[in-house]
Amino acid sequence: MNLFRSEEHLERWLAGREPGATTSVETLCELAHAWYSDRLDSDWRPHTIEHNQAILDRVGLTGPFWRLGPGADLGGAA
Amino acid sequence: MDEHDIRIRNFLYRRFVEARQTSRVDDVAREFELTHTAAAAALRRLHDAHALVLERDALEIRMLNPFSCVPSAWRVETGGRNWYSNCAWDSFAVCAALDSDGHIESSCADCGELLALDVRDRKPVQTDYLFHVLVPARQWWDDIVFT
Repeated sequence: MNLFRSEEHLERWLAGREPGATTSVETLCELAHAWYSDRLDSDWRPHTIEHNQAILDRVGLTGPFWRLGPGADLGGAA
Repeated sequence: MDEHDIRIRNFLYRRFVEARQTSRVDDVAREFELTHTAAAAALRRLHDAHALVLERDALEIRMLNPFSCVPSAWRVETGGRNWYSNCAWDSFAVCAALDSDGHIESSCADCGELLALDVRDRKPVQTDYLFHVLVPARQWWDDIVFT
């Protein structure tokens, strides 16, 4: 999960590999706040996979690439 | 992850953020009056539940997402305190978890040039960079350190 100066830099870094998904920094920041803002709450509870998938959907990260798999339902993201 | 494991998890986060100390097995054993074996098992359960990430070859905490417990290429300053995170996402997430503005520094993965971003009122000030995720979401936890 990296940042790049521009599309040109991303393409050079990929060096012919299949790209993953690219988003704006605004979307990333929105995602981070939606996913992690409860992380230090004293009454924290693990997110369900449905909860986390709904966060992705809400910030516009939809489609097969963003479908969560086993293990994304508990404590973590990435 | 039962209620007792959640209390251990909360203790680990609280101690890391408030006291800036990464807990070890003995710290958990002492705090919760557990044997070393029981405390080690609790850390492994939390790792398996993705509530934290242990080092591959040692029973030591590497990540309390979004924080990195070890130095990394992602640095975040919030309110005069400095943190390491694990990736671009986690860098913004440090600001989110602490409910704070912040300053993020890392480098372009291609050219290595310094990238600096500020977060103000939950929004990025600089918006001309791109965020790229190579690994599909369903595979993130196959190798979280690589992800």
